Amino acid sequence: MKRARFFVLMVGIALAVSGGVPLLMRAFADSKPNVQLNTDNSGPRQVEPSTQKAIVRDYSSAWQAINTALTNNNPAPLNDNFVGFAFDQLTQRVKDQQHAGIRTRIVDHGHKVETIFYSRDGSSIQLRDTASIETQVLDGDTVIHSDQTQVQYIAVMTGAEDRWKVRVLESTPSGQ
Amino acid sequence: MRKLAFITLIVLTCWFAADSARAAEIRISQNATAGQPLSIGTGGSGDGTLYLVGPGQVIKRSIKLGNDVQIKGEELRSAGRWIAIIRSGSSSESSVFWVKPGAAESMSFLARPSRVPVAERNVISGMVFVFDKSRNLVLQPTPVNFSLAVNGSGAAHTVTSRNGLAWIDAGSGPKEGAAQFVATVGGTSVRRVVQQVASQPCNLRMHVSQRMKDQMVVETDPIRDCTGNAVPDGTIVTFTESEKNSKSTVDARIKKGVARAVLPASSNATISVASGIVLGNELHAGGGE
Repeated sequence: MKRARFFVLMVGIALAVSGGVPLLMRAFADSKPNVQLNTDNSGPRQVEPSTQKAIVRDYSSAWQAINTALTNNNPAPLNDNFVGFAFDQLTQRVKDQQHAGIRTRIVDHGHKVETIFYSRDGSSIQLRDTASIETQVLDGDTVIHSDQTQVQYIAVMTGAEDRWKVRVLESTPSGQ
Repeated sequence: MRKLAFITLIVLTCWFAADSARAAEIRISQNATAGQPLSIGTGGSGDGTLYLVGPGQVIKRSIKLGNDVQIKGEELRSAGRWIAIIRSGSSSESSVFWVKPGAAESMSFLARPSRVPVAERNVISGMVFVFDKSRNLVLQPTPVNFSLAVNGSGAAHTVTSRNGLAWIDAGSGPKEGAAQFVATVGGTSVRRVVQQVASQPCNLRMHVSQRMKDQMVVETDPIRDCTGNAVPDGTIVTFTESEKNSKSTVDARIKKGVARAVLPASSNATISVASGIVLGNELHAGGGE
């Protein structure tokens, strides 16, 4: 009798875990990625505290938009966070994915970002981002590629109406 | 007999696994460059599908395994991290490779501000983002030449880009006029115009030009900045007449190089003149200058 109870309890826990883990993963995937910003090496202008907060908020939002756009093959989330070449490039990627019938899911484990340039007039900022990301490429619902790695990005953000928008986002081999 | 069948089965399984692994083989040059053709080697036999997933592009192509796949330069536009995937049946194999930006061919040149006073240090800033022909940021150090000149005379500096960016802070020249701020990368030049205008007035002086019964006209000498440029017409000059118990102020605009004001005549007043933060001379009306 005791064994049967224990068995039922274990089955219940297993069910809860199997249901809860994907739910939690989905919830974390939809939340904004963690961005740690270091402004010690910025120049020629120091990054003001309010700008630091805005950069963290908007760069994180940009990555959330990338994930949403590439997962759902919908370029709409890119409108609020990207401009110029970065916008054109990501929009083209979404179109190509639609055409090829694939999707890309990014599980974002966070970004260590340092400012490497902040223009004297405060209109442009350049960032070096070491991103810990897991990338899954899906053909239909089948995962055809999965990797987890650290990727270095060089990003340029420019001030727009009410936020900073990503103008350039280019991945580079680490150490460059 | 059963043993033999078992061994045969294991050998066949290993052979199949090895063949599957071979089918998935991808060989890619690690020196791929955006805008340049790329050859991708594949192993195995039969039909498959090649996916190339790049930062701004996805290429999907049906291929014959075992043959090399040629990717045209115009197809490989995005620099950065690419994933090559070969799918054959239900198995897939992938490999990550990097595409470098091409040679510098274009730029974004931002020059600020559009209007500056003459003879000021570090008031003009220029930023150049260096791109290849596919608009990838060129991260390799690239020399960028900046020149700033009015009527052909000025200075030039070469700055080497870092992380795709070259920038400069420059001082304005001593002469007013439209300064040509030019950035050059390779054979490409981009021009911006920075209007250099006269700075603050220098040696602001006035005199009484006309005396009447109830009023007097005060007038400045031609107003120039410290490098001899005429301060633009329309600049406000303030004349103040102070008496023991009263004060009269007139804001006059510079017209044809001088500012003029009509003030009440007084037997004992001090008249001062100022423009912006610059104070001029004082006159004592009634008691002589």
